[in-house]
Amino acid sequence: MKRLFLTLLCASLTATTALRAATDGEVAARRTALDIAGAFTNDGFKLRDGYWAGSFEPGKPKLLQVNLYAGNQYYFTLGATPAAKKVRVTVYDETGKPVAIDDYQDTSVASVGFSPDNSGIFFVKVEVVDGAAADYCLVYSYK
Amino acid sequence: MFWKLRPLAGSLAFVCLCVSAVAVDATPLTPEEMAGAARTDGLSIPMPGEFMASLNKLGKIDWSSKFRIPIGTNYTSRPQMALNLGGLIADGYIAIEAQDQQQVKNIGRDILTLAKSLGVSKDVLERSGSITAFAEKNQWDQLKEELEATQNEVKQSMAEAKDQDLVTLVTVGGWLRGIEVVSGQIAAHYTETGGKLIRQPGVVTFLNERIDKLPDKIKDDSSVKSVRKKMADLQHLIAFPLDKAPTVEEVQQVNKLASDTLKDISKRQK
Repeated sequence: MKRLFLTLLCASLTATTALRAATDGEVAARRTALDIAGAFTNDGFKLRDGYWAGSFEPGKPKLLQVNLYAGNQYYFTLGATPAAKKVRVTVYDETGKPVAIDDYQDTSVASVGFSPDNSGIFFVKVEVVDGAAADYCLVYSYK
Repeated sequence: MFWKLRPLAGSLAFVCLCVSAVAVDATPLTPEEMAGAARTDGLSIPMPGEFMASLNKLGKIDWSSKFRIPIGTNYTSRPQMALNLGGLIADGYIAIEAQDQQQVKNIGRDILTLAKSLGVSKDVLERSGSITAFAEKNQWDQLKEELEATQNEVKQSMAEAKDQDLVTLVTVGGWLRGIEVVSGQIAAHYTETGGKLIRQPGVVTFLNERIDKLPDKIKDDSSVKSVRKKMADLQHLIAFPLDKAPTVEEVQQVNKLASDTLKDISKRQK
C-alpha cells in the first residue's frame, strides 16, 4: 500500500507539472489532503487519482461540478496551505441545495462524506472560512 | 520513518477531524454559481470503477460474463486508437471486478500495445509490471487504483505530446464501454432503482462539448463521426428527469447505442 501511495503521489505530482507548473503551495495542499484521504482507504474507500487544485481567498469560494452515482458512498477531502486557518467543503445537489452530509473540519483541512440517493450532477464548494488567501487541493474517495 | 508513521498520523488526523464536526452551510447555490462551476477531466468525469461499484450495490453480478471478444490493437488511425484505449481501460476494471488474473494481464498487455502505438512515454509503459504484479497477488483494490493511475499517466503523456484532443477520446471510449456494461446488466435485470443509475446528464454534456471542440481533422475520422452521432442520441436518453426512471425499453436502447458505437470504433478502417 505504501508503494502504491508513493507511486500515485509521484505520478500525480509529475502530472501536475506537465499540464501547468504546480505551485509549491498546491503540492503542499495535495499532501495535506492525501494524508487525510489515505485514512479512508483503511475503511475500504478507493481514492481517485485525479484532483482539483488552485488558489482561493476568503469570500471567494470555488465550485467544482462532479457526477456521482446513487448507492456509492463518497468522501471529499480538501487540503490547503496554512495561510487558510479554517476551510470548508460543502456538497450541493443539482438544484443547488446543500445535501445532508457529515462535515469535519480541522484548520487547513476539511472532509465531507455522503451517499447520494440519485445519480447525477453535484457541486462541491471549497472556501476559506478564516485566514488569508491560500492554495488548495481537493481529492475524493468512494466505495 | 515518515512512511512508517504515516498510517498512524493519518488515522489520528481523521479522529481529530471527526471530533470537530460543525454544522453545514445551508445557503443554496444560485443558478449563476452553478453555471460557472469548474469541470475537469480529472474529477468531474467518474471512473468506470465508480459506475461498477454502484452497480454492485444492486446485487451479485457475474462480471466474467461481461468480458467481450478481444478487440484489435493494430489500428492506423490515432483517434480510433485513443477511443479503443479508453474502452480497454474499462475492460480492465471489468476484469478486476471478475477477479480474473489472466484477463487482467491480457488487457494490460493490449493497453500497452495501443499506448505504445500512440507514442506514450516509456515511464508509463513500465507500469505494466506493477499491474501484472498486483494481479498475481490478487490485490484487486490496489489494482483499481493502479489502473486509474495508469489511465491518468497515459492521458498526461498525451497532453505533454500535444495530443490533448486524444485525451478526450480516451475518456469517451472508457465511458462508452462502462455504460454498455452497466445498461446491459440493468436491462437484463430491470428495476426502477437500477434504471435510475444510468442517469448521467453532466457526463454526456461534458463529453459532447469536448467532442464538438475537436479539430475538424479528428472529427472527420470515421470512428469519431460515429461517436459524435450516437453520443448525441445517448444524451437524450441519459438526461432524464430526477424523479423519473427510464423504462426497460429505454435502458435497452441505451445499451444498443453504446454497443453499436463500440463495434463501430473497434472495426478496422479501410
